[in-house]
Amino acid sequence: MPETTFMGVARGKIPWAPEIDYEKCDFCMECDEFCPHRVFERRDGAVKLVVANPDNCVVFCRACSKTCGPDAITFPDKTQTIKLIKSLRDDEGRA
Amino acid sequence: MTSAVLACNGMDKVEGAVSREVGLQVADATGGVVICPVLLHHAPARYEKALAENALIVVDGCGTRCASRLAAEVGAKPVQKVLVSKIAKASGRQLEASLRLGTGEMALAEDIVATVIAMLSAPAAPAPSAVAWDAPTDFLVAVFEKFEFRTPRQGYWFSENDTWVRVAGNRARVGVSDYLQQQLTDVQYFDPPSIDAPVEQFGTLGEVESTKAVFELIAPVSGTVVAVNMVVVEESPQLVNEDPYGEGWLVEVELGAWEEERQLLLDGPAYSGTVDRKASEY
Repeated sequence: MPETTFMGVARGKIPWAPEIDYEKCDFCMECDEFCPHRVFERRDGAVKLVVANPDNCVVFCRACSKTCGPDAITFPDKTQTIKLIKSLRDDEGRA
Repeated sequence: MTSAVLACNGMDKVEGAVSREVGLQVADATGGVVICPVLLHHAPARYEKALAENALIVVDGCGTRCASRLAAEVGAKPVQKVLVSKIAKASGRQLEASLRLGTGEMALAEDIVATVIAMLSAPAAPAPSAVAWDAPTDFLVAVFEKFEFRTPRQGYWFSENDTWVRVAGNRARVGVSDYLQQQLTDVQYFDPPSIDAPVEQFGTLGEVESTKAVFELIAPVSGTVVAVNMVVVEESPQLVNEDPYGEGWLVEVELGAWEEERQLLLDGPAYSGTVDRKASEY
């Protein structure tokens, strides 16, 4: 399968994915039930949910965090991510 | 029109306790009817008349959005919605874990009530531009299984987050693509950005809420918000599903740096190709 890109930049170079705060998460699984991209995976044991496939996450999408009752999901700073993508595009243009 | 207030009364979180207080105060201030979510769930007929005759205000406590989901479940369309946890976060207030309201929680509730009341009596939003935005007629169609996703061949530019922009002079209209509206399923509510708010390219222009989820409207262009589609906001959110490229538009923006920003967008054929790929990977 060819490597996916976002705005012309290899997806793997863009650090955009949810982060779970396990102090807050109550493992209700609403986020996992919502996300169609299989970003999350369930596990046995104390930590029942992990971000297993961060590169599956749609860049700039934060919809899973809006399903989260305990507000346990955060994303990277969007403005910084936009800047990074633009600079990566410029680098590739020069390469 | 008088109001009906449907508030989360979640007993297990402080946000629920604040919602309940907001609901009661809004009902008091507007002479509105209080709707009990538990009773609405179990005996919707009990509130059929109240919902038909009053403007519905929904107050959610946390991101689970039980009150919003309940409104959708009974087919009631809110004219206004608030989410306590979001407002608390935006205002920098730290809520206590106690399920009983302290001074800080009561102050937050009062602030939210004041905002709701102000919005109910806000002057009419600025009219959209007088530009004749002709309805597109020539579509590219990506087919996947039983689904068809239409993309106007010309005149629209797309972000990779499935939002479109069309431009006339220094004004632009923004909406969601046919592909995104089908992913969203039935749109229940559009929480618009403020008029005069600045937005950066790929920033957020409000939130589109469906029975399935809440999606941020990603701005395909930077600029200043000059109008929002009040028909969608106040009466007919389903226009986003029925006519996403026309009457279901969402926001008008006065453009910032269009020529430069267009380089980061896709034209109709390129976007239709992206939809083809997304649909097959979904």
